[in-house]
Amino acid sequence: MKLIFENRRAQNIKLRMVNYAIAALLISLAHVMLIDFISIGNITPDLLLILVVWISLREGQFIGIFAGFIIGFLFDLLSYDALFGTNSLAKTVAAFIAGYFFIQGKSEQLLASVKFVWVTFIAAVVHNLIYFFFYLKFSEISFAGFFFRYGIAMSIYTTVFATVVMLVKSTRRNL
Amino acid sequence: MQRIIDFVVKNKEYIGLTALVIISFSIISIGNVNKIGGFRTVVVGSIGWFQELFTWIPNPGALRNENRALRELNLQLSSDVSKMRHSLIENKKLRDLLAFKDKTPNKLITADVVGNSNIEMRNYITIDKGSAEGISQGMCVRTDAGLVGTIVSVSNDFSLVEIILNRMTKISSKLERNRVNGVVSWDGGEYLVMKNIPESFDIQVGDVLLTSEYVNRYPKDIPIGKIEEVVRDRSSLFMKIRIKPFVDFSSLEQVFVIVELPDPERIKIIQDMEMKLQARKK
Repeated sequence: MKLIFENRRAQNIKLRMVNYAIAALLISLAHVMLIDFISIGNITPDLLLILVVWISLREGQFIGIFAGFIIGFLFDLLSYDALFGTNSLAKTVAAFIAGYFFIQGKSEQLLASVKFVWVTFIAAVVHNLIYFFFYLKFSEISFAGFFFRYGIAMSIYTTVFATVVMLVKSTRRNL
Repeated sequence: MQRIIDFVVKNKEYIGLTALVIISFSIISIGNVNKIGGFRTVVVGSIGWFQELFTWIPNPGALRNENRALRELNLQLSSDVSKMRHSLIENKKLRDLLAFKDKTPNKLITADVVGNSNIEMRNYITIDKGSAEGISQGMCVRTDAGLVGTIVSVSNDFSLVEIILNRMTKISSKLERNRVNGVVSWDGGEYLVMKNIPESFDIQVGDVLLTSEYVNRYPKDIPIGKIEEVVRDRSSLFMKIRIKPFVDFSSLEQVFVIVELPDPERIKIIQDMEMKLQARKK
């Protein structure tokens, strides 16, 4: 009985990983192709970061950081204007931060609560801090000014999308 | 060994994070993305293909930006066109002046008009050449089109020109067609006038007026203007003629100073005669 339960659990994890991979691929493509339609004056949401936070809060910190790295790497490959590797680094650290809020056995409840939105915002701020640090490293632009102008705005915009995800999750959970 | 395994299991998150951060830094240190150029070319090509599928969806933000950019471009282009038109007109004017300078027998000094002023119905222009260039008071100023006026004051680098649209103007002139003589004056406005011309004289609209041999302030045969209107007064035996100057004083930019002074002996004899007449009147 225990073996059957373990097998089913392992199968569930594998299925979820496949789902995450498909989601990451689709979101990456949507992000690259449709970003112009949802951007507001150069401010764009980071949809992949929402997925990274989701995985960290659902699967825990350890799986989260690997998911963050792989998704960041995937985005580095797709976004041909980025400094290669910065997304991997930023999303790995963001996943690590988000993983601190993981509670075993309460992940579904967490994803449908306002806490998910807050964790996304914190992760987005940390992510953008790291990302913009490398983005501006070789330029003459002031880091603080640029970060407060774009980094915070992008974090808030990402949080708005995370709120939508949270509301959808909450609605489905209540059904 | 077990303790090491326990340590790794206990701190797997931190070890994993450290490892992934090191890998990320290694990738960043590659720096030059051309090293993965081949793969990226495939990715870019694929994304481009996908993006093309979505190009039919209108994007209001992009359209707004494009509109703004096009409006700015339009403004810049219309400004450029205006500048080009101005250059074209200026170019034609300068070419005409150059051609005139080549064919005229007088020695000429080219000057730019740098200002104009009106003092008690006396119109003046200031030109950017003065005594340093050999200009002196009394010299005649003209353009390729016709007579402009006379130099009345000279400094080292500038000269003041009294133009013919001036209440003191009295120019002995003649018709180019039949050499009929008369005195041209100005009574305000954009036209010159010729008064007290007997009705019996053959004068037609369109006739060209030149400075005559009798004039002492200007060289002879300089075009003045064209007859625009001949007013015949039934109560009098004389006609009044309105003349449109050839020179457009409202858009005067370049002029020529004729380096030739009126004959001083001739001027002196006229001045002596005038003084004698005035003395006789007294």
